[in-house]
Amino acid sequence: MDWAQYYADLTAAARAGERLALLPDLFRQFYQAFIEGERWKLYLKGLGSTYQLTVIALLIGVALGVVVAVIRTAHDQQRLGHHNLLLGIVDRLCRAYITIIRGTPMMVQLLIWSGVVFASSRNHTMVGAFGIGINSGAYVAEIVRGGLMSVDMGQTEAGRSLGLNYLDTMRLVVIPQAFKNIVPSLANEFITLFKDTSLVTAIGGSEMLYYAKAIGTKTYSVMFPLLGAACIYLVNVTLLTWLQGKLERRLRQSDRR
Amino acid sequence: MIDVKNLSKSFGDHLVLDGIDQHIYPGEKVVVIGPSGSGKSTFLRCLNLLEEPTGGTITFDGTVITDPRTNIDQVRRQMGMVFQHFNLFNNMTIRKNITLAPVRTGLMKQAEADDAATALLRRVGLEDKADAYPAQLSGGQKQRIAIVRALAMRPKVMLFDEPTSALDPEMVGEVLEVMKELAQEGMTMVVVTHEMGFAREVGTRVLFMDGGHILEENTPAEFFANPKEQRTIDFLSKVL
Repeated sequence: MDWAQYYADLTAAARAGERLALLPDLFRQFYQAFIEGERWKLYLKGLGSTYQLTVIALLIGVALGVVVAVIRTAHDQQRLGHHNLLLGIVDRLCRAYITIIRGTPMMVQLLIWSGVVFASSRNHTMVGAFGIGINSGAYVAEIVRGGLMSVDMGQTEAGRSLGLNYLDTMRLVVIPQAFKNIVPSLANEFITLFKDTSLVTAIGGSEMLYYAKAIGTKTYSVMFPLLGAACIYLVNVTLLTWLQGKLERRLRQSDRR
Repeated sequence: MIDVKNLSKSFGDHLVLDGIDQHIYPGEKVVVIGPSGSGKSTFLRCLNLLEEPTGGTITFDGTVITDPRTNIDQVRRQMGMVFQHFNLFNNMTIRKNITLAPVRTGLMKQAEADDAATALLRRVGLEDKADAYPAQLSGGQKQRIAIVRALAMRPKVMLFDEPTSALDPEMVGEVLEVMKELAQEGMTMVVVTHEMGFAREVGTRVLFMDGGHILEENTPAEFFANPKEQRTIDFLSKVL
């Protein structure tokens, strides 16, 4: 059977005012949403942007998170009577950052970034990646801080007793061990981020949901584009979760060595 | 070598060290004993400022290490420390554990440090473990490596914080053996321990601590034969 011909016939019939039966009508909408004009390529293109957004946001989030976590930990671990004024101020800023980001909805943050801070920018996708990255940083900071605290104090003491300074001890001894402990939580954050990129649609950035909505608008039928987008998210999240499980098992193996 | 004046340390309201005066001379092997909670570990940890004293001064080779302006990292490079729980770096091979500090602090080049590590490992009979990770070793092996890791910095004094307390009984001997050899080579040592045999055999001076004070100090022979304080007599009657 020639699907394209069948679709053309159905469309012509609908245009002529004929009421289609349920199944043929669903077929027509499905074909329209995914196949006509090779629209499926748009979803894939959108998925590509979604991954791009996720990776950029994650890089910003992890970089920011690690710095904030190290500052917060360094501040809390200061020696008695050695309170560094600068560190105190930076620590306050970090706390404020975490409080503000975690205390406000990401949607609102994105609208502020695009509508207020970068109001003149045309590159909505990048503004979105930036906004999500900044948001993620606050959560990553707390994950990393937990990881740093999970490493036995004895490791730090051993490093310091050998004459290594604080930063070397953190960088060479504590952070590598903390990293192993936080990989599962970071992978979780990655998966959450992947879904949260859909919010970028609201500020006009182009990613998968954006294309799905555009197709829905163009065809006056949102059901299949939205269901399709949901399915693609679900499949990808399932895949990422599976990868996360594999990674965790791999890391646990090295514990037994 | 290490001069301690009126050292006190409190955690909150709890006074752990109460005005300790002590001098440790080069070549001495000072053994600190006492009941748990007496402050002996805290005293030892104050010597390299792992615990920050709340009062008093500590001077090491003419440097007032309790002075906030002192670069404590510089001082610590000359004071080796061995911990009860070994604290080997779990993310590194044994070789890397030993060479990390000498290389990072600029004491040695990597090749030189590798050679030093090999020599040190041979000395404690563990040269075949150079590429192993800490998780693959027994407690006794870990502690011997922790000792040579500290020695790789060529310290002037070695601090031991209950080095055999976390070991299986049959592994205690191998660690004490390494410590005895070190003592014979003339290393200045401060050892917090419950090993009375070691105190008697290796120590040149025994400090008995209780309630944040040094209650009694003497040569091992005299200390164990004729303890003077009632608290010391009670303690020794329980542990000997």
